[in-house]
Formats: sequence, C-alpha cells, structure tokens
Amino acid sequence: MSFFEGLKFRKVSSPIHDLDPRIKFVFVLVIFVLAVVFAEILPLLFLFILQLPFVLLARVGKQWLRSLKGAIFFAVLIFLMNFIVSFIYAGYVVTAQMIENAFTMTFRFIVLVSSFSIFFLTTSPDVLGLALEQSHIPYEFCFAFTTAVRFVPVLADEAQTIMDAQKARGLELEKGNFLKRVRNYIPILVPLIVNAIRRSLELAEAMESRAWGATKKRTNLYVLKPKREDYLLAFITVAILALAIYVKIFVPIPKITQILRISA
Amino acid sequence: MRFMVARESVEVIKTEKLTFTYAGRNEPSIRDVGLSIEKGEFVILTGPSGCGKTTLCRCFNGLIPHFYQGKLEGEVIVAGLKVNEHPTYELACHVGLVFQNPENQLFALSVEKDVAFGLENLGLPREEIRKRVDWAMKVAGVYELKDRAPYELSGGQQQRVAIASVLAMRPEVIVLDEPTSFLDPLGAKRIFEDIYKLNQKLGITVILVEHRLDLAAKYATRVIVMNDGRVLLDGDPREVLSLEKTRLLGVGIPKATRLYQLLKNDGIPLKSGKVPLTPEEAAEAIKEAFKSD
Ligand SMILES: Nc1ncnc2c1ncn2[C@@H]1O[C@H](COP(=O)(O)OP(=O)(O)OP(=O)(O)O)[C@@H](O)[C@H]1O
Ligand SMILES: [Mg+2]
Repeated sequence: MSFFEGLKFRKVSSPIHDLDPRIKFVFVLVIFVLAVVFAEILPLLFLFILQLPFVLLARVGKQWLRSLKGAIFFAVLIFLMNFIVSFIYAGYVVTAQMIENAFTMTFRFIVLVSSFSIFFLTTSPDVLGLALEQSHIPYEFCFAFTTAVRFVPVLADEAQTIMDAQKARGLELEKGNFLKRVRNYIPILVPLIVNAIRRSLELAEAMESRAWGATKKRTNLYVLKPKREDYLLAFITVAILALAIYVKIFVPIPKITQILRISA
Repeated sequence: MRFMVARESVEVIKTEKLTFTYAGRNEPSIRDVGLSIEKGEFVILTGPSGCGKTTLCRCFNGLIPHFYQGKLEGEVIVAGLKVNEHPTYELACHVGLVFQNPENQLFALSVEKDVAFGLENLGLPREEIRKRVDWAMKVAGVYELKDRAPYELSGGQQQRVAIASVLAMRPEVIVLDEPTSFLDPLGAKRIFEDIYKLNQKLGITVILVEHRLDLAAKYATRVIVMNDGRVLLDGDPREVLSLEKTRLLGVGIPKATRLYQLLKNDGIPLKSGKVPLTPEEAAEAIKEAFKSD
C-alpha cells in the first residue's frame, strides 16, 4: 500500500513550501540550465551545495534522498556509458581525465534530478494549480490538473478493491508468460474504466450544478502575492545567473585533475 | 402543524404536466407531474427505486433539459424562471443540488476551495467569496476542516462539505438526492438534524429524497410518494405515511407509524389525535391509552 500512500498529497508548511511556486520554478529552471551549460565539476558542485539549504529548510531530506536513490540506476548507466565510450575512443587506456569527465556527466544528472525533486517535493498540487491559473493558462486545463490529482488516490483505492475482488474470484495475476500476464489485467481494467466514466459523468453533473462556465472571468479565492522571501529568492536567482555568466565569460574553470597536478 | 409561522405563501417550484423521456428510451421516466412547492416547506420525496425521483430533481435545476438530452413536455418554473429558458448556472443560484455520492461532487484539493468553487465560477468579487465561504462552512459545521483534503474526510463530513458548497451560493431551495445512502445511521441522523436547522433558521426550502423515513419523517411538513414516474400521494406526513397504500408500495414507513397501524387493525386505536412518526410519539400515545383505560 505504500505506493498508493505516496500518491496522496499533504499540506505542509515550511519557508520553502510557502514560497511563490512561480519564482521557485524559475529558480529551479536556472539551476537546470546552468547545470547543462557548465561541464566542469566545480560549478556543478556549487549548484549542488546551493540546493542543500532548501532541502534542510523544507525538511524533506528523507524524500529527497529517496528520489536520488531512485536515480542511482541511471547515474551508474551514464557513468559507464561515458567511461566506456571515451575508453574506446582513447585507444583502450585509462586516464584520470576520463574518469573525471564521466563523473562530471553523472554528477550533472544528479544535480538535475535533485533540483526538480526539490521543486515537486515542496510545491503542493493545489498551489501548483493556483500558479498555473495565474500564469494565464486556460482554466479548463488547470481544473483538469487539480481534479486529476484529487482523484488519483480515489482511483488507486478503487483499483486495489477491484484487484482484491477479482483475485477472490480466482483471477491469477502473476501467472503465465508476459502476454498472458498482460491479458490477466483486462478484468481489472474494464471495471476500472467503466467506473471512471460513470464517475466523470457524476462529476460533470455536480459541476453544472455549481455554476460551471457561468462567466469567462472567473475569480479565484486565493491570489499568489510575492512576499519578502519570494523577492529574496528572486534576488538570489538573478545573482546566481549573473555570477554564472561572469564566470563563463571571464574565468577559466580548472579541472580537478589540473588542480591536483599543480599542488602535487 | 408545528411551525407554519405566518409566512406569506410564495411558490418557489411549480411543475405542470411535466413529462420527461431520456434520449434513447421509449417510456417517459416521469409523467404528468404537477407540483407546487412553497417557500419554507420541508418536503420528503420517496418511492420505490426507479420511480423517477432523481429525474424529477434534475428538472428542478435545469440539468434536465440542458445536461440530459431528451423530450421534455409540460413546464417547470423555479424561483419564477422557466428552466428550459435559463441555463443551469443561473438556476444553480436558486436551487442547490446535493447528490448521493459525496465523493463525486467534491473536486478541489481542500474543503475551503471546494466550498468556493461555485462562487468562483460566478466570478464574484474575492471579498464576497471569502465572506460567503466562511459563513457556509460555519453553518454546515465544516469550518474546522477547511484545509483538509476531501479523501481525508469521512462520508458524513464529505456530504456536509457538499451541503456547504451549495449553501455558499445562497439558494432558496436545496434539493438533496438520497444524501445519506453512503452514511451510517448516526451520520444520517446528524445530517437530517442539520438540514432541519437550515430549513428552520434560514427559511431554506428543502426537498429531500429519502428512504430512511424512520429518521427523517419527523422533520417533514409534506411527503410526496412517487410510483412509476407519477406522483401517487402528496400531503401531510402523518396522513400519507399511515395509508395502507403507501406501505404496500414498499415505502419504508417509520416503525412507530407501523405500530400504530397494526394496533388499529387489531381494534386498538390509539386515541391521541395524531399518527405517531417517532418512537417517542408512539410511547406517548400508548401511555395515554393506558391512563384513559
Ligand atoms: N441518464 C439516464 N438515461 C436514461 N435513462 C435514465 C437515466 N437516468 C435514469 N433513467 C431511467 O429513468 C427511470 C427513473 O430513474 P431515476 O433515477 O429517476 O429513479 P429513482 O427514483 O431516482 O431511483 P433510485 O431510488 O434507485 O435512485 C429509470 O427507469 C431509469 O432507468
Ligand atoms: Mg435516484
């Protein structure tokens, strides 16, 4: 059941959760772009360390680590690919440089995963929906988004119930070859889909009864108003961007292997 | 009658020769329904399954004919508006519909947002929405739950949120279609009490579709029994529910009323003037009968 539990969202409050999601998104986007632009380990390390205060302030360390752990498989894959390709390319010799390059690529991937996981871990779907609405995205789309989030746990529960019911009638899900197994899921999918359609009809009826589509100019009970913290984050974002541009143009970034050779 | 306070009689719902056939069906689901419901009434609508109660409710706020296609004959006038000439969203401000399944009428991720949904759709000013939402949540007793997500609530709480969200639109009439069929008896009893309060304190006209007459009958000022798409009986609850005809239809009449009937059939009429609807009333009548012997 832990998988289904993960689909439910909770309202959490922390300095990071309470930030304006739009500014937070821009911040994450800047980190993303910079991680792609820089191919050296030092700036990537800087971008990674920059995220740690956010994880700590938001108290999402556990979930953050879990999402990084989820990325390990791909990280290893990226490392091996990079390493093997350059290994063959260099004529079957191993150099420190090659290892550093492969490691940098891997680390870049981790920075990307981490930044997006921080965004989604600290932005509850209702705030996200609100941000979508206030970014002039058509309301129908925003509504579809929040409704989907709202019904995911309900449908997950329902799927579980149907699965139990069908198993009680002798359905064996884990039997047979791949094709057979896929076919085993039909008796689960059919009632699930039929139920979802019936449910959506009832929802539509309830929406109509609550003045859906009465006016094009819908009001929203909440407004996102940037607070002091949001301006601070905006400032940090701009500062990082400026610094990055400066470094990219004027400062040659040394590789770790170069630093080591100098000090040695 | 207990509380026919000197209200001027204002008709809020009127139907005349109302007949509706869903698209793709040969038989009409309701036929020749002629009703006149006045402001402040508490009407219980009951009848065997499939007799057309839900269909009739859908006519009251324009879901029929705007949402459900089909052939509509006759007339429905709600708060002075002919339903076929006004869109559902306009009628929704006069008639609030609460449905059977509480889960499928809440869309938002928090209670507060859900209660605001209708008002946001109407495009009211934000301050007005805030005021009405707080008011509706307090009246329906869900103010403490305002930040909770719908799936964290019990069925009774969800149904209360649904009631709050139609209340927020300040309708004159609330129509509740079997609002307690997903609830346990205690939850149902509490919902009925709250609906009664809305009726008494705010003067909202209530139309309640219900099978649990044991719990609900005592609040009604009027009971309408439907069968096979027609209105079969319509009148004072004590009269309608004590008729043999009502029982034979399979309407679950209150046990106290049934007791009265049985005693009467055995030649032991309870003398007190009125037919009992609740165990308390029955006990009172029996005590009186003993005393006078
Ligand atoms: N959307 C629809 N399309 C076609 N026919 C329908 C539709 N909804 C209801 N009916 C039919 O109309 C008739 C009356 O149904 P309705 O749902 O109004 O009964 P009801 O009194 O509410 O029953 P219940 O007590 O079971 O809720 C039934 O024969 C039903 O099959
Ligand atoms: Mg019904």
